[in-house]
Amino acid sequence: MDDESLEDWFCREVLPLERSLTHFIRRNTRVADDVIDLRHDVYELAITGARKGLPSSTRAYLFTIARNHLINRAKRARIVSFDLVADLEAIDKDIDFLEAERHLDARDALRQVQAGLENLSPRVREIVRLRKIEGLDVRETAERLGIGKDAVNHQLMMGMKALADFMAGGPGKIVRPKSVGRRMKDAEK
Amino acid sequence: MSRAQQANDRAAAFIIAQEDGNWNSASQAQLGAWLAESDGNKAAYWRLKHSWREADRISALGHGRAEPGQASRPARRRWWVWASVAASIIIAIGGVYEQWPQMESPSQQMAGYQTAVGGLKDVTLSDGSHIQLNTASRVRTSLTAHRREAWLESGEAFFEVAHRSGAPFVVHAGDHQVTVLGTKFSLRREGNNLKVAVLEGRVRVDELKDGRPVRSAVIEGGDIAIAEDSALFVTSRSGQAVENALAWRQGMLEFNQAPLSEVAAEFNRYNKRQIVVTDPDAAGFRIGGMFPASNPDAFVRLLHDAYGLQVVTTDSEIKISS
Repeated sequence: MDDESLEDWFCREVLPLERSLTHFIRRNTRVADDVIDLRHDVYELAITGARKGLPSSTRAYLFTIARNHLINRAKRARIVSFDLVADLEAIDKDIDFLEAERHLDARDALRQVQAGLENLSPRVREIVRLRKIEGLDVRETAERLGIGKDAVNHQLMMGMKALADFMAGGPGKIVRPKSVGRRMKDAEK
Repeated sequence: MSRAQQANDRAAAFIIAQEDGNWNSASQAQLGAWLAESDGNKAAYWRLKHSWREADRISALGHGRAEPGQASRPARRRWWVWASVAASIIIAIGGVYEQWPQMESPSQQMAGYQTAVGGLKDVTLSDGSHIQLNTASRVRTSLTAHRREAWLESGEAFFEVAHRSGAPFVVHAGDHQVTVLGTKFSLRREGNNLKVAVLEGRVRVDELKDGRPVRSAVIEGGDIAIAEDSALFVTSRSGQAVENALAWRQGMLEFNQAPLSEVAAEFNRYNKRQIVVTDPDAAGFRIGGMFPASNPDAFVRLLHDAYGLQVVTTDSEIKISS
């Protein structure tokens, strides 16, 4: 399986499941901060596995990987909550088959992008707008707004990540490098 | 920074550089090498590239301002609408059941309880569960044979839930709901922030958006969960902190090296005469120990006698300065 077909499969079949997958991981882990990392792991395992051949049912394949990964991780953790492992062993039928994936037509997709843009902070939104609608590049954007190119790059990156989260059904909030949650976790140690 | 965040940042930087004109074969080789490093890198890159490409759709709007989409953030109060809808559904179901007398009587019992400032009230529900309300608190309950619900509208309450199979017990508090898995726990609500301290058993805390859970955590005995806006923090194995958080049930306030500003705020929940700390030095003063909630005078006397803080008392206030 070459990378081009893998990428096509990943965007067409895996990404529309992101909302359900995130929901599933969140429900089965105790640490909210770990959800994004766990999802990243699951995507990685899914791509590696599919290289030998694409699965016939992407949904079943993806959630089986997620479930096994969560179980392995719980078992490896130094302090294992038996309840958590027991709950995970039982989730086979718990996998959310009812939640419809979102197949969007062009107009829905446009609306979703707009909603994602609305969700950004005004500064980031303006920069994404200049890039996508006015077609300005980083240098032109920096000149237009009277700020440095690095600042434009930085905000563009934040906007891109927040849009990706939003369009997959996540919160679409901009994640600042040092979150309150992380500080609290550090303070506990 | 986590692995996922790192991969995301690198992927975003590559995509921006690609669009920016100075992309050359060396940059392409760099990207290729980075992608070859791991399938995780590929996942991050493909994912961002895909949604960023999707975002090109807004160019269809042409120059000028993008119209605001309809799906902006939901109103804070939306949950209450949902709650009233849910309540009316429960009532409707209750009405339907009455048409089938052979079924066990799931008649709905609704009630409301509240306490004034400084109050403490014990309530026994018809299912055998107990609720203890702390100062200035309001709780409503609704019990049927199949579902037990409570709404913490403000303040703090301790729940001791009698086990009933087939009748889950759910406590709603603003944008959060706590599902009881057989247990004793307390809930404290300030606006939309919620603190859950579990003494025994387990509960599940769900954060709701438009009535649907978007984030969940299971909290066990000895754990404390704090939900603030859309963040949920869980502190594990903090048995002592749970004990401290529950001292109010004995009419006491317990502190473990808490700053005076926090201690004052805590006393102020229970008394009309408010403690005001006037300078930051005094506010940062650390306090440990157990004090009767209803007697701030004894507490401030101690601050004056033992620590030499200045205390000025009027009818409405107790002013403390260093």
